Amino acid sequence: MTAKVLMALFDRVDPVAEALEKLRQQGIDEHDIAVISGVPYPARVLGRPMVWERLPWIALSGAFVGFLIGLFLNAGTPLLYPIRVGGQPLIPLPPTAVITYEFTMMGLIVSTFLGVLWESTFPSFGPKHYHSEISNGRIGILFRCPEERIHELHELLRAQGAQEVIEPEEWTL
Amino acid sequence: MSEHEGHRWTMVIDLDKCTGCQACVVACHAENNVPVVGEDEVRMGRAMHWLRVERYWEGEYPNVRARFIPIMCQQCENAPCEPVCPVFATYHSQVENLNVQVYNRCIGTRYCANNCPYIARTFNWFDYEFPEPLNEQLNPDVTVRRRGIMEKCTFCIQRIHRAEEAADAEGRAIRDGEVQPACAQSCPTEAMVFGDLSDPKSRVSSLVHSRRSFRLLEELGTEPAVIYLKGGQVHVV
Amino acid sequence: MSFELSSEQLVWAEEEDPQEHLLLDPRPPEEMNRMILEAMSRTGPRFWIGVGILGVLILVGLVGAWGYQIVTGMGVAGIRRPVYWGVYIANFVFWIGISHSGTFVSAILRVFKAEFRRPITRASEMMTTFALIVAGMYPLIHLGRTWRFYWMVPYPNQRQLWPNFHSPLVWDMMAIFTYLIGSTLYLYLPLIPDMAMARDRTTGWRYRLYRLLALGWRGTEAEWHHLKTAITIFAFAIIPVMFSVHTIVSWDFGMTMKVGWHSSIFGPYFVTGAIFSGVSAVATVLLVVRKAMKLEYFLRAEHFDSIGKLILVFSFAWTYFFFADYLTEWYGGEAVGKELLTLQARGPVAPLWYIMLVTNILIPWLTLWNRKVRRSFWGLLLVTLGVNVGMYIERYIIVTGFLTRNRLPFDWGVYSPSLVEILISIGSLSTFIFLYAVASRLIPLVPIWEVREGQITHSLRRIGRALVPTVTELE
Repeated sequence: MTAKVLMALFDRVDPVAEALEKLRQQGIDEHDIAVISGVPYPARVLGRPMVWERLPWIALSGAFVGFLIGLFLNAGTPLLYPIRVGGQPLIPLPPTAVITYEFTMMGLIVSTFLGVLWESTFPSFGPKHYHSEISNGRIGILFRCPEERIHELHELLRAQGAQEVIEPEEWTL
Repeated sequence: MSEHEGHRWTMVIDLDKCTGCQACVVACHAENNVPVVGEDEVRMGRAMHWLRVERYWEGEYPNVRARFIPIMCQQCENAPCEPVCPVFATYHSQVENLNVQVYNRCIGTRYCANNCPYIARTFNWFDYEFPEPLNEQLNPDVTVRRRGIMEKCTFCIQRIHRAEEAADAEGRAIRDGEVQPACAQSCPTEAMVFGDLSDPKSRVSSLVHSRRSFRLLEELGTEPAVIYLKGGQVHVV
Repeated sequence: MSFELSSEQLVWAEEEDPQEHLLLDPRPPEEMNRMILEAMSRTGPRFWIGVGILGVLILVGLVGAWGYQIVTGMGVAGIRRPVYWGVYIANFVFWIGISHSGTFVSAILRVFKAEFRRPITRASEMMTTFALIVAGMYPLIHLGRTWRFYWMVPYPNQRQLWPNFHSPLVWDMMAIFTYLIGSTLYLYLPLIPDMAMARDRTTGWRYRLYRLLALGWRGTEAEWHHLKTAITIFAFAIIPVMFSVHTIVSWDFGMTMKVGWHSSIFGPYFVTGAIFSGVSAVATVLLVVRKAMKLEYFLRAEHFDSIGKLILVFSFAWTYFFFADYLTEWYGGEAVGKELLTLQARGPVAPLWYIMLVTNILIPWLTLWNRKVRRSFWGLLLVTLGVNVGMYIERYIIVTGFLTRNRLPFDWGVYSPSLVEILISIGSLSTFIFLYAVASRLIPLVPIWEVREGQITHSLRRIGRALVPTVTELE
């Protein structure tokens, strides 16, 4: 009973939601299904479980790290190597605000970018396959199923309005 | 060196005695290795004088009067040039209590020059030459600057240091009048007097209390260390 | 006299053709993908000649003239005492202003859900990144000792010195660096799905490049969800960074004691001027790109119509700040301040000043209210070019003109740019155009997935006798 991977390609999003429901009724587990598209569709449109979001927390912690770096540069370095200029105090508060703000934003931005790369690597449900028709505007339901059920599910999905049901290539980065 | 903290080096310039002869300007050039840039560059406004004698004309011909005022770096207590240098090439020295310029730290952003209300700073636009035999009279106590570096009057800090070393060697304090910047030394009318304001018995301390005393652009709050004594009518026939 | 309307005076509403709107005129995705990929790969002889000329200008300007300046000294430029900053700093402020283009269009319009932004975000975000690269050259070009620029970077060293964080120039470095990183990443993130699309449809070196840049993108729900969250965070984060960058650049002047510069209005004044200049530059570039790359399907009259309205609004805002600054100085400022106003109205910079008033105020106010002007190629092109000429003059007068006057009249001066400064300015402008031209052949200028997303959410609905476009919120 080997597992095979199938991809059903649809032209529009409405039959996709119906097809997902049918697949679920047929006993295919949520973790074995992935919906791939060239345009984002929110989870509630597709009727899929919500993805857990850690990105805002990664961004906030990056901003905090940036804040600390800015604070060190502005308040720490003058204490390490004091040099007096222009009658201003050694740790001037308004310039400290400017630099700390910039480093906080830098931390926020960089950590958001690194966070989105990190988060996208896991967790990802479903098999790791792809087909280039996705970027032509098709929406694909990618799922794992036992070999004997291929034909039955093939018919089911065609009846739901899939343009094609194919066995896609393994995806290599 | 720390016994020499707490000096308040001050220059008092009596505008009544100043004749505008510019001997001070030449002396400053000689003492501080200030280059001569040539006529074309001066016409463009790139003269390197650390100390300049400004001249203002008053009145209509034939009743024209000229007023002179020698202006150099005012060694401000709250120097506006200091906070804006991105690399700390100019800062307020705590020991000498002067606004110092560190030549080998300067990267030449020229921000300090823009922020000086007295336009007292000059910039090395090129690598200036000291053609023979001028190179033989360079002062070994003062760096010769390359292109891209800001410079300004330092109250002849090399002479201050020499006086401090001499005083240390003899185990005494610096006497009033022992430190003479090149400009004060060369002034024929003794219009420029240099001394330590923290010493109540120095000449500058008594001159400062004159009714004629004022500081340039005082309202800006820079707290300059150069005190001028207001001149009377100076006639140029 | 009768006031009744006769039948000839009744006016009926025109039937608008809904297909005029990009988001109501969907084509098959294969066709849209093909259009954008063809636009990228079409490089005729005109392109190569153009790139060649730009390359020569860059060599002459940046390598030749700048190299000469480094070896000989800053004296080859026109700057002098008391005008210690000249064309280089004016250029620097100008290019930072242009860099506000992309962020305004792709971040602020995205936050406000303005649908007309969809096809133009990437082209303008590219402008931001390249304008920042060009702007970032100027703090190096204007240094007396350029080879020591790295002393402004904070890193532990044996000199026991860190940069002086009191200095607005150090704030500049931090702000511009943050903005450059931010806008490059903000350009890259929404680019990933389009890189995947291009990867699927190209071969050879392009395929390898896009495969690398697409980072293995497939388009799963998780990937889209994370990407959209990241883009939202970026959009909200980069707007305050954008405001802070030009404010900090304006504080290079605002923090000084110079009369005319020490003004608390410089922050908002410069930011408004930057957005004014940047959005006009976006219009200029988009008009050129639309013709040159045959993107008429994506960039339509409606987009230029909306951009034109934005430019008019920012012309109002800029005039407001300009007048507030002028009036304050005119009414009771220092004597030197009044002298600065005389300098602008009657002095050597007066012709430039009047040109600025014409191109920034008179022409936009007289033309941009008119729908036909906003939707015409030459109309909008000339108006926006004029705006940027005027904004450059504004920076030139503020940087160099104001420096010629100070509190000690013996030390007043004049300034005129030298050949070296002009060559370097031309070189940096050529760098911007060159980078943009090369990038337009490497990455798709229109974000296809965003346009398709918009087309999916837009539909026509009949309300009464009219067909109205409606937008659904798919978030």
